[in-house]
Amino acid sequence: MKKLFALVLALALAISLMPTALAEENVLKYGVDADAAGGFDPHTISAVASMRMIGQMYNTLVDVDEDLNVIPELATSWEQPDDVTYIFHLAENVTFHSGRAMTAEDVKYSFERILDPEVGALGNSSSYAGDIDTVEVVDPYTVKITLKNINAPFLANLSSSYCSIVDKDVVEANDGSLLLADGGTGPYTLGEWVPDNSVTVKAFDNYFDEAGKATFDAIEFYVLTDASARLAALRTGAVDLISADTAMLDLVENDDSIQTVSYQSRNYTGLFLNVNRAPFDNPLVRQAINLALDREEIIEFAFNGKATISGFVPASLGHWAVDVTENEYYTQNIEKAKSLLAEAGYPDGFETNIIVGLLDSIRDTGLVVEQQLAEIGIKVNVQDVERGQYLDAWNGHDFDIMVCQNGAGSDPSRAVAFFFKTGSSANIQDYSNARVDELCELAVATTDTAKREEYYKEATNIILDDCIVAIVASPQEYFLASTALQGFAPNASNANNFAGVTLAK
Amino acid sequence: MFKKGKSTKNRALPGNESLLRQLWNDPMGRAGMIGVGIVILLAVFAPWIAQYDVAKMHAKDKLTGPSAAYWFGTDNFGRDVFSRIVYGARVSLVVGIVAVGIAAGFGYLFGMIAGFFEGKVESIIMMVMDVIFAFPSILLALFIVSALGPSIVNTMIAIGIVNIPVFCRTVRASVKTVKSTDYIANARSIGLKKMTILFKHVTPNVMAPFTVQATLALSGAILTEASMSFLGLGIQPPNPSWGSMLSDARKYMERAPWLVIFPALFIIMTILSFNILGDALRDVLDPKLKL
Amino acid sequence: MRDYIIRRLLMLIPILIGVSIAIFVIMQLIPGDVVSGILGIEETPELRAMWEAKLGLDKPLVEQYFSWIGKAVTGDFGESFRTGEPVFPEIMKRFKISAELALLACVIAWIIALPLGILSSLKRNSVIDRIVRVVALLGVSVPNFASATLLILFFSKAFNYYSPVKYVGLFENFGTNMEIMILPAFILGSVMAGSVMRMTRSSMLEVLRQDYIKAVRAKGAPERVTIFRHAFKNSSIPIVTLIGMQIGGLMGGTVVIEQIFSIPGLGQYTLTGISQRDFPVVQGCVLFIAFVYVIVNLLVDILYTYIDPRISYS
Repeated sequence: MKKLFALVLALALAISLMPTALAEENVLKYGVDADAAGGFDPHTISAVASMRMIGQMYNTLVDVDEDLNVIPELATSWEQPDDVTYIFHLAENVTFHSGRAMTAEDVKYSFERILDPEVGALGNSSSYAGDIDTVEVVDPYTVKITLKNINAPFLANLSSSYCSIVDKDVVEANDGSLLLADGGTGPYTLGEWVPDNSVTVKAFDNYFDEAGKATFDAIEFYVLTDASARLAALRTGAVDLISADTAMLDLVENDDSIQTVSYQSRNYTGLFLNVNRAPFDNPLVRQAINLALDREEIIEFAFNGKATISGFVPASLGHWAVDVTENEYYTQNIEKAKSLLAEAGYPDGFETNIIVGLLDSIRDTGLVVEQQLAEIGIKVNVQDVERGQYLDAWNGHDFDIMVCQNGAGSDPSRAVAFFFKTGSSANIQDYSNARVDELCELAVATTDTAKREEYYKEATNIILDDCIVAIVASPQEYFLASTALQGFAPNASNANNFAGVTLAK
Repeated sequence: MFKKGKSTKNRALPGNESLLRQLWNDPMGRAGMIGVGIVILLAVFAPWIAQYDVAKMHAKDKLTGPSAAYWFGTDNFGRDVFSRIVYGARVSLVVGIVAVGIAAGFGYLFGMIAGFFEGKVESIIMMVMDVIFAFPSILLALFIVSALGPSIVNTMIAIGIVNIPVFCRTVRASVKTVKSTDYIANARSIGLKKMTILFKHVTPNVMAPFTVQATLALSGAILTEASMSFLGLGIQPPNPSWGSMLSDARKYMERAPWLVIFPALFIIMTILSFNILGDALRDVLDPKLKL
Repeated sequence: MRDYIIRRLLMLIPILIGVSIAIFVIMQLIPGDVVSGILGIEETPELRAMWEAKLGLDKPLVEQYFSWIGKAVTGDFGESFRTGEPVFPEIMKRFKISAELALLACVIAWIIALPLGILSSLKRNSVIDRIVRVVALLGVSVPNFASATLLILFFSKAFNYYSPVKYVGLFENFGTNMEIMILPAFILGSVMAGSVMRMTRSSMLEVLRQDYIKAVRAKGAPERVTIFRHAFKNSSIPIVTLIGMQIGGLMGGTVVIEQIFSIPGLGQYTLTGISQRDFPVVQGCVLFIAFVYVIVNLLVDILYTYIDPRISYS
């Protein structure tokens, strides 16, 4: 018995004497809502959660700033001899994490990899790099890209991580996959990934751009899926920064040690109606649904008030946006909605299904819509489905009404053409309007911004008047951080940019 | 099934004291009966008890605390928590009872057959049970609901299937113990038919562990449904189940504690009551305990 | 006895085949597939075709199954569709974590439940009995995600404490590992304690009224001997059955707790596999869990023969 006691005592002592943390490290601890999915190959990973790390590990030729201007990244400058030719001059001091210098050959290789059908890269579509015809190495720091056809937003689209520049040697050393390898040039390199717990990226000392250099020895991303656990971790100092849920915001309003950081996203949430299915093939029904919605109320309930009424080209897209507050279908009018329904042959309404999933704000939007449509006699069955089923409905175009949250991208070629042009993969409604198609093609075929704006605005207005969607709002995105975190200013173009960010400890 | 037990007990105990009365005389039994009674009353009379439509949102009264207008406060949609709890009793109870009914029925049947006949029959039945049981229960339930599509019926089927082996194993284990006792051997030697032996002697004897399992499984079913809500495959909204209410309320635990407290209280009360009632029932049903 | 064990181990084969077919069929029935998860909203028919060819999903179903099982019998569980990582080493890594959590939870449950169960059976129908029974039930009565969230909130508000966010293995740093595991294990243990306690109590009651216990008592044996040597030992069959089932159930059944506490266990691996429709991962995890379950139950059955010599397997 005595021996046992001694043993326990010794054990307790040993535990208490264990080194807690060696020196106080300069590490940013970031509590995130989801784990990286699948890995970190910038060309094949579409999961938003993985982008957080990919953004630290890789660079693209160009970047876009908050106001959607194209700015230099790996390319210091570029010129356009004609509408389909782009010549990029590369920074000369860029090194990959492997230590090898990056040259024009690597840029050529990266785009070849994106265009290689075997790779199945996400950038292999005209929304990104799919329109590239040839990539030529002019000299070690000059690269010439020729497109098959005019693609006005091409330059801006190159800022997508799907167009990251990767290290050929690393790709080849890993059997063609970068999922668990790091072939980047970014300010941080991939450290350890403990799936379902954490991802660590470590500072890369030879980063080419002084301004973007790593300010932390490492950034540790912690997977804390539960919102209240995330907040608890932030409050106790276990992490320095978390992605926040709007439900948490008033809890920290009076907390001096916690700051709220936010930006207006370029995403929007709304209802997509299946225009080929009765009764949504009837424009009157679609108008009635739009008129039945009280968008302010949806914002209050589904986004805790932290969103702005929006169309599918949100105001954050600047001059491309169409002001929807002027649109007649954006103001709730129950009486008119009812009479439109009656006119359409549904005086007593009808029953329909609405698919929701993926995000709380999508689900909550569906629940509020169910209540609002009930007022004009439409009985809605909310189907809260799991991710796989949701994606099935999306890809199979199999739904009556679907609530979606889409990203409008940085150009209407995404916001308009990608979602509403006939035959486009994301046109889940199979909507087809000859004039919209024509306008989208005209807009792609010119690089004249004024003209493009004119075309897209006309297309936007046609779609709005057709009422095939009932877009509600564009959400504000939130972070909560310890007040020690300084210089963190995320924006919709770059939500996880830690350049110049420091922790005052 | 309980009827069988009752007749056995009546043989053991002279007089016409009813099962319910015996339960009522036991303080624990009484507490359990009252608790279960409250839940059943809530479920049956929900439309009369609830003050509001469960889906009705009140924009002006979002996240308000308990008050005269909203006894248990309102949630993030301004929906009345009390009304949702009352209707939630229906959903949770029906899910629990039907799921356990499926599980207990099939489990009892398979367990009896396996335990009694032994040999090949037992091997095959127990193998199928092992296949089912070898899946982690929550994952199997998730699997089934993902495949069938989320709905209340599929939730009940999934939870039911998941629980069959628990009953089957419990019943079989008890049958084995009972069989090794002398009086079964005696019964056999008298030449009673197998089926008669099965029901007359084994049934009352497996009743006790079986009842314990059934009450536990009922609580388990309510909890599994809650976990499935947490993992995103629960009852379809806007219908409330206590589990989904609790899961939805986690984000608001600090801001609006009543959203967590009330569903949790009702879940605790229900599960405690069922368990306590199960215990009491066991004491009453078990013929030998009175000797 | 040896023949029995060999026979039981041989029975593993049909069980595992049954499980693997069941998983394969369910994975086909479940809406959505791994490709739509990979591509998200960027999906186009061309990209889909590329990925299906890459992952071998364009082959006939039967061929897909047999090519998988063909490799599985040689111990090769294949690679994850998503990360390309071999599945088996990852399973082993995570099994250690889940097993540690499950065992800790069991120990906590036993510490709480066995004494309470015995006490309550001895003091049957007393006030102590009633209090003990209600307290033991509290753990089972709350959905564990709620108690976990509540506990996290409580510790953060009351003590400004959050358990270490970075997972460390048992052998890397024992202290930190225990700190990470103790709260989740306590929640899982308190859930298990309720049923173990009830089973202990009811089995004890059943045994205590048996004639031979009366005989032992009549012979004047000390009460402690009566209770532990005779009553508890003989009432432990259902308890052992229950514990066996619970350990089996905890493999993967810890998924909710693992998620809330960010513990990289087997449950989360399986869940991620299911939600990403990552067939090799799901197949590997569930088969492994099934294997562990069968082995645990075999051990339980063998234990029976030691506890109750009347039970024999021949």
